[in-house]
Amino acid sequence: MSVLTAPERKSPTPPPARGARRGTGRGRGARRTPPLVLAFVLVPLLVEAVWVFWPALQGFYLAFTSWDGVSAPRFIGLDNFHEMAGDATFRSAAWHTVLWLVLFGGLSALLGLAAALLLQQERRGVGFYRAALFLPVVFSLVATALVWQAVYQPDGVLNQLLESVGLGSLRHAWLADQDTALYAVIVPALWRQIGYVMVLYLAGLKGIDPALYEAAKVDGAGAWQRLRHVTLPQLRGVNAVVLSVIVIDSLRSFDVVWSLTRGGPYHSSELLSTYMYSTAFQSLRLGYGSALAVVIFVLAFGVICSYLVRAFREAD
Amino acid sequence: MRIHREPSMTIHQPGRRRFLAGLGAAGTTALLSGCVTSTPSGTTSSKGAVTLQSNLSAPQAKAAMTDLVAAYAKQGSGRASLNTVAAETFRTQLPTYLTSANPPDVYTWYPGSVAEAYSSKDLLLDLDDVWASPDLGQYSKALNTLCTASSGKKVFVPTTYYWWGMFYRKSNFAKWGVSEPKSWDDFLDLCDKLKGKGITPIGLGAGGNTAWVASAWFDYLDIRINGAAYHRELLAGKHRFDDPEVRRVFDRWQEVLPYFDPNGTAVAFQDATTSLLNGRSGMMLIGTFFADAAPKDALDDIDFFRFPVIDPKVPLAEEAPTDGYFASARTGRRDQVVDLLRYLATAEAQEIYIKGSSGTALPCNPDAKDSGTALVKKGRAHIEAAAEITQFFNRDSSDALQPTADTALTKFLAKPKEIGAILTDWQRDAQKIWKA
Repeated sequence: MSVLTAPERKSPTPPPARGARRGTGRGRGARRTPPLVLAFVLVPLLVEAVWVFWPALQGFYLAFTSWDGVSAPRFIGLDNFHEMAGDATFRSAAWHTVLWLVLFGGLSALLGLAAALLLQQERRGVGFYRAALFLPVVFSLVATALVWQAVYQPDGVLNQLLESVGLGSLRHAWLADQDTALYAVIVPALWRQIGYVMVLYLAGLKGIDPALYEAAKVDGAGAWQRLRHVTLPQLRGVNAVVLSVIVIDSLRSFDVVWSLTRGGPYHSSELLSTYMYSTAFQSLRLGYGSALAVVIFVLAFGVICSYLVRAFREAD
Repeated sequence: MRIHREPSMTIHQPGRRRFLAGLGAAGTTALLSGCVTSTPSGTTSSKGAVTLQSNLSAPQAKAAMTDLVAAYAKQGSGRASLNTVAAETFRTQLPTYLTSANPPDVYTWYPGSVAEAYSSKDLLLDLDDVWASPDLGQYSKALNTLCTASSGKKVFVPTTYYWWGMFYRKSNFAKWGVSEPKSWDDFLDLCDKLKGKGITPIGLGAGGNTAWVASAWFDYLDIRINGAAYHRELLAGKHRFDDPEVRRVFDRWQEVLPYFDPNGTAVAFQDATTSLLNGRSGMMLIGTFFADAAPKDALDDIDFFRFPVIDPKVPLAEEAPTDGYFASARTGRRDQVVDLLRYLATAEAQEIYIKGSSGTALPCNPDAKDSGTALVKKGRAHIEAAAEITQFFNRDSSDALQPTADTALTKFLAKPKEIGAILTDWQRDAQKIWKA
């Protein structure tokens, strides 16, 4: 995957490799690819084909079958997709995924940007705050979920905190109530993602030419106007990266939900990813599970493709 | 796959066209390289120790398994290597283990419909040779039937069983001045008394990752109201979950629902049993396995009573899940597997396991001594008094049906008034599983 999404579109300095390649390529006449480079491309492609594309294609095939994981899969055409159209759990999982995308994605972008703006100036101790915000990214999501599970317990930290500030009436079984489960699961995911988005934006902010700010100041622009007309337009490149990261992360959010609620209680925190997993590996309906995986793939691929097309257009 | 996020400065740009061409090439290769999900047919090598895949990951049970494997090595006829896997991982991975080309040899698992499902797909080793041993020859007829597949072959070696009941602490019941109820009405009175004292009468523990615990209530109410035979047929798909019989189960349940722990679906059974041991809740419908994690000094204080009889006309049935082993049909160490399983069926092996674990399980071998505590003696009598034995929801149906029960029962506990819609949904979800 690293090849697909790695290029940052607006590097402050043009990548030196491109210039060098163009130079030597012209020297040799036609753009012949040296065998070593070809090997560098083909060998990983082969590995990728065996370990990624081939299982993915099998998944596509399985989406058209009924399979319990033990006996041979039975081809049933589009039946899985027909079933999906009338499946209330699928609809609610899709809706939760959209909600997740908006809340988790939107808030992590906003709060990440806010944190980056707040912490971009080199002041004393700013490193500590940056590190503190980035720290959750280091933990595995499953470990994070375990900590938050303790926080959300009926006798957990959150309820005790509410009690101690006199809000005992708000005490709640956060993860077991259908009205709060989904939001209770978003918080730990957000807690982790903000630090990551902040780092992306910090890198973007570092790349903005200070002369632009000075010019704006000379023209009499206030702090808000500088943010609105200098900072934000300059961050356009980073925004594209952040957007694709957020969309991909939202669609594959699984670990935190699975370890906290398993999509429950009664599907109220079900995402497409957890529904896919529980259908395939708990109910052992691998055909229908694969059909759900195909839907997730199409959604994710749509985003990645549109991003790639833009990236290539600007690179060519 | 977190690598894709690292922004790189010096990246080789291959150009769109070549990238797409590559993608196409990769796709074609993949398509040409064989048929999808072909079944591998290899077998394990015939040398080395028998691999024993165990889901007994609770500390005491795991220690007991280690003792058992060590004792087997010591008696000299063969060796086994123990591989303990977390119970949940084991459950989801079992079909993969059994269908893989190089499977582990022997597995801890359940007899009855669960083993039958694998056996009917020819994934289990024929164990008639093991059952020819003198030890298994004297096992009860009920166990014999339980371990025989529909093909007539033996596919399972049972070693221990345990029972479910309403567990409580003797010292707490004495302190509160209450005693074991004899009938359903007594039971409701008891709940009322405990609630009056500010104690949560009934702990549940169907939160966290143990929603399946709630199925014990469904099972028991169903075998008390409709009988064990109906219960088995229901789980096999011969009746419907939206039938009036099932509705009656939930009507009864509603009578006790006010006495349930309000956090019943928020905490896992391990936390719920801790509450029981600490006296925050009065009693709990649970299997003896919970004692594996209980402090040793609390074990003597634990007692239980029979789930109250609701309709005396219904033959008395109890849940007594049987544990044991089956083996993969693809094993390459058949002789060693047979030897290990014969050993596991001996009184000696079962005593070693019971001694090492919390000692609340009962041995299947009639010659084997149980741990001899008052609790275990009572448990044995409790099971022997029953006219019918059921295993548990998932064991009497399939692991695939369990999530449908979890969803339905958790929803019922939160919204008991919507029971009509819940049962309709349950039937619809269950049908998808039975049909698959």
